[in-house]
Amino acid sequence: MSTNGLSANGEQLSASAPGADAGKVIELREIDVFYGRVNALSKVSLEVRQGEIVALIGSNGAGKTTTLRTISGLISPRSGEVRLFGNSVRGLGAEHIARLGVGHAPEGRRLFSRMTVRENLDMGAYSRNDRTGIRTDLERVFTLFPRLRERASQLAGSLSGGEQQMVAIGRALMSAPKVLLLDEPSLGLAPILVDAIFEVIREINSKGTTILLIEQNALLALKTASRGYVLETGSVALSGPSAELIASPDIQRAYLGM
Amino acid sequence: MVKPTKGLLSIGTIAALGVLAACGTSSPGTSSSSGASGIAGCRGTITVATDLPLTGGDRTDGPFPQLAAQLAVTQANAHHLLGGCTLKYISKDDSSVLKNGHDPATGATNIAALATDATVMGVIGPFNSSVALAEIPKVSQAHLALISPSNTSPCLTVVVAVCSDPTIKIDTASLYPGPHTYFRVIATDLQQSEILAHIAAKVLNLTTAYVLDDQEAYGRGLSLLFAKFFTADGGKVVGTASLPGSTTTFTTQVSLAKSEGAKLIFFGGTTGNGCGLVRRDMGSAGLTIPLLGGDGCEDTKFISDANSGANTSEAEGSYATSAPDASKLPSSAAFFSQYASAYSSMAAPYNDGTKEPYTAYGYDAMNVLLQAIRSVLVSNGGQPPADSQTFRDKVVAALRATQYDGALGHTSFDPNGDTLNTGFTLYKVTSGAFAAVNTYAVDASGNVTVKS
Amino acid sequence: MSEQSGTPAAPPASFGGADRSGSAMLVDQSGLGSRQARKGGVVSTVGPIFRAANGWVSRYFASLLVIMIVLAIALTGVQHGASLMGEQIKNALVLGAIYALVAIGYTMVYGIIELINFAHGDVFTASGFYAVFIASVLHLDSLATGSFGGLLLALAIVFPLSMLAAGITGVVIEFVAYRRLRDAPRLAPLITAIGVSFLIEGILLVFEGPDNVTTHQASWINGQAFAIGGVSIGYTDLFVVGMALLLMFALGTFVRRTRLGKAMRSTAQDRTAALLCGININRTISATFFIGSALAAAAAIIYSINYGVLKWNIGFHLGIIAFTAAVLGGIGNIVGAGVGGFLIGMIYVFGGSIFGGEWSESLIFAVLVLILTFRPVGLFGVEVTTRA
Repeated sequence: MSTNGLSANGEQLSASAPGADAGKVIELREIDVFYGRVNALSKVSLEVRQGEIVALIGSNGAGKTTTLRTISGLISPRSGEVRLFGNSVRGLGAEHIARLGVGHAPEGRRLFSRMTVRENLDMGAYSRNDRTGIRTDLERVFTLFPRLRERASQLAGSLSGGEQQMVAIGRALMSAPKVLLLDEPSLGLAPILVDAIFEVIREINSKGTTILLIEQNALLALKTASRGYVLETGSVALSGPSAELIASPDIQRAYLGM
Repeated sequence: MVKPTKGLLSIGTIAALGVLAACGTSSPGTSSSSGASGIAGCRGTITVATDLPLTGGDRTDGPFPQLAAQLAVTQANAHHLLGGCTLKYISKDDSSVLKNGHDPATGATNIAALATDATVMGVIGPFNSSVALAEIPKVSQAHLALISPSNTSPCLTVVVAVCSDPTIKIDTASLYPGPHTYFRVIATDLQQSEILAHIAAKVLNLTTAYVLDDQEAYGRGLSLLFAKFFTADGGKVVGTASLPGSTTTFTTQVSLAKSEGAKLIFFGGTTGNGCGLVRRDMGSAGLTIPLLGGDGCEDTKFISDANSGANTSEAEGSYATSAPDASKLPSSAAFFSQYASAYSSMAAPYNDGTKEPYTAYGYDAMNVLLQAIRSVLVSNGGQPPADSQTFRDKVVAALRATQYDGALGHTSFDPNGDTLNTGFTLYKVTSGAFAAVNTYAVDASGNVTVKS
Repeated sequence: MSEQSGTPAAPPASFGGADRSGSAMLVDQSGLGSRQARKGGVVSTVGPIFRAANGWVSRYFASLLVIMIVLAIALTGVQHGASLMGEQIKNALVLGAIYALVAIGYTMVYGIIELINFAHGDVFTASGFYAVFIASVLHLDSLATGSFGGLLLALAIVFPLSMLAAGITGVVIEFVAYRRLRDAPRLAPLITAIGVSFLIEGILLVFEGPDNVTTHQASWINGQAFAIGGVSIGYTDLFVVGMALLLMFALGTFVRRTRLGKAMRSTAQDRTAALLCGININRTISATFFIGSALAAAAAIIYSINYGVLKWNIGFHLGIIAFTAAVLGGIGNIVGAGVGGFLIGMIYVFGGSIFGGEWSESLIFAVLVLILTFRPVGLFGVEVTTRA
């Protein structure tokens, strides 16, 4: 694929000096992931810096969800390295990575559907011990999503799709994450709800939480994010600042329907 | 009764027994001493056999009657009971590895092998009624005498109503494609249940009974027969229940029995299948009526099971009948001391014949057979009949006419081959143990009398 | 076992298991709530009339079952009088209490790793023998029968120690036999569970022998507490039912209120999401086995205090019936298992009382077949959103 002033990710990485880890919240170095014999990700490198919103776009099956699952430790890469907050997390289980400060609102929301909304949020704070902090964050989630306050004692499984998405994001927030991984927060939502959710995402980011975002709606994603990565069949095809990606004719043709 | 399969625990030394049995004993066949006049000139080989479970789970049961029967053969040879003829002995084991104990298929194979040996004139066995079902048709076709020391299922010889019960399902007639060549020296469950019913209705004077069984052929048969005879004796069965051996609580049935005003609970089955647990549950329900069972209940486990509940002396006053302890009969004293001296070198428990209730039955069964063979020789001019089948037929005919006084007392057979030596002793739990009350006998027409 | 996909909601104390909605859940744009077509059992090959009847039976299964049981109780009362009715209710409650405690162990393990832990019934037996051992080593029999205070002390010793030993047994079984098969095809751990069951039975057979073993604990509590209408209620009866209810209440509170309890519930409902919340799955599963086995130990002590005997293989049979209770209540659902245990106790006793004891177990398994046919999610696997 041609570059139009955008740089291929690998080149960027090779250019970065070892000491430049400081601001990198997430760094993937040449990750290979296999499902059985199927090569889901090959040589994926990616980085997310402190305070950014980074969008991960691409068509279905390109490996976006797999990338997030690899970051949060649900999948182990066959080769390559995942570094979080400057350190390698090789051999760490997902529960340990969660405790490092990675909040993940996974694909399909994966709520504890037979627990109440409040219990779901509490589970998000499972690894925390600071009661006052938890209370503050709960209040913050309820402020972000006033609907959840009304539904606090309702079973999560009985909520509507939009409300469930709010719980999923809220649950991830409850761990007071330094970085938030969001997998398709707009999937299946009415347009008005999509706007509301993205409003909240920007608000979360403005309070200092780094965000890595997967989104079908590439335009919306890139408009929200400062930078973007384009995945194609398991590899990073393009990366760069959002404005440049939006301007790229290839991206416009393939993802923005222009 | 049908012996429940034992566990795999104790380590037996049955290999040694097998060697001993295989060597057998045979007389030189030339001597003519000890009053065998007329048959001293007997020529030829006559074989007798045992077919009993000797290995696996049955190794604590079968070897006793086998050793006793072998002792009878050894003694017969020592006394030249068959005159100049050679008396051979074969021991067969009807256990299989597959069944870890007695196996009807193995029994049938053993009988087929013995039947083709023209010198075999009779077999002592089998131990279990289920094996008898497979063996009786084979011996009947071969005209070969089969004498069981321990089969108590009435349906092996007599058609009674219970034989068609789904848990039993024995077509007695089909067991005998040829002549009736099956005998037994032990009383049957039919006779036991007549005595049990008599005890309940006439001795204890209890008019209403709740009848339980353990769904197995022995227990179900005993219960059905008990109910029938109890009704005939003027009693009333107020309820029945048939529960699998895995049942661990009988509170539902005990409550029903209480509510129906039963004066007696009868349990047909074994202790392993809950006889003692019924008594325990009667205790917790405060039901203070007697429990009566058959020989399946008369053991120490009954007492510990019954006393395991809140009332630790709940077993007291329970009744069970059982064949009289053969080791306590005056007539058996000589046998048991001979057994002890003959097998003193064997490992425990096989060196003590009193450790198993059927030891003396194996001994008498073999002696009854040997007496019958001898009487055929005597009546045939001191020689075995030339034709093997004729010989076997004559042995069976001689068995029918048996009048033998042995370790068990006086043995004779009714037309079905069942022994007329039918004592059953009523036991009552007193001070933590079954104590004999009285011994009862039943005659061919069903009259029960106290035996002296 | 059964089709149990997409049951988004149930009473709050439910534990997981039946629900694996997650990504499979479809979301409607209207925001009215998620819906998924219910698989109600035998619908594909039968006619519309049967389908309608099936739906009706499925919906009112719990009510039908309760009505049948109430009718059976009433029938017993009419036929035999109130005193037998009362006695049988007492018998059913005592039996049901034990089934309920054992059923909870099945349901917890199934809820969290979708395994029918066939060894659970044998853990019950083994822990009964632990209690016997502890009682004999510490001479608790004489302590318990000496005075009321002694009895309380003996109970306060034997319950925690046996439950601890049983809990460790359960944890070891999971660690040795099931953990490495967690991602294997479903059949592999199932067969392993049967193998573990045989192993425990074999060990118990070697150490305890083939016959009933008297536990002596039945002598700990005896005597009549009171009588209602001619039905004598013993202290043992009160103890059995009271202890079972107390333990179930404690478990319910634990699962609902505590951190570990919530971790167990969330792991049961969605293991991936639990991981993402920072929950240590292995430790949570170990805790589940620990608690399930400890409850089996409590059930075994209660059993031996009521019945006074144990046998090497009683647990397997009792376990199968308790498992039926767990399915009846909705496998994975703790409250369901508790209620299921008592219902099975009722069916066992009143089935036996009315139709004869030989039918008790047949009836229980008939109910199992019916529930798998008409209501595979069990009585408490209620789908709130599809009720509309």
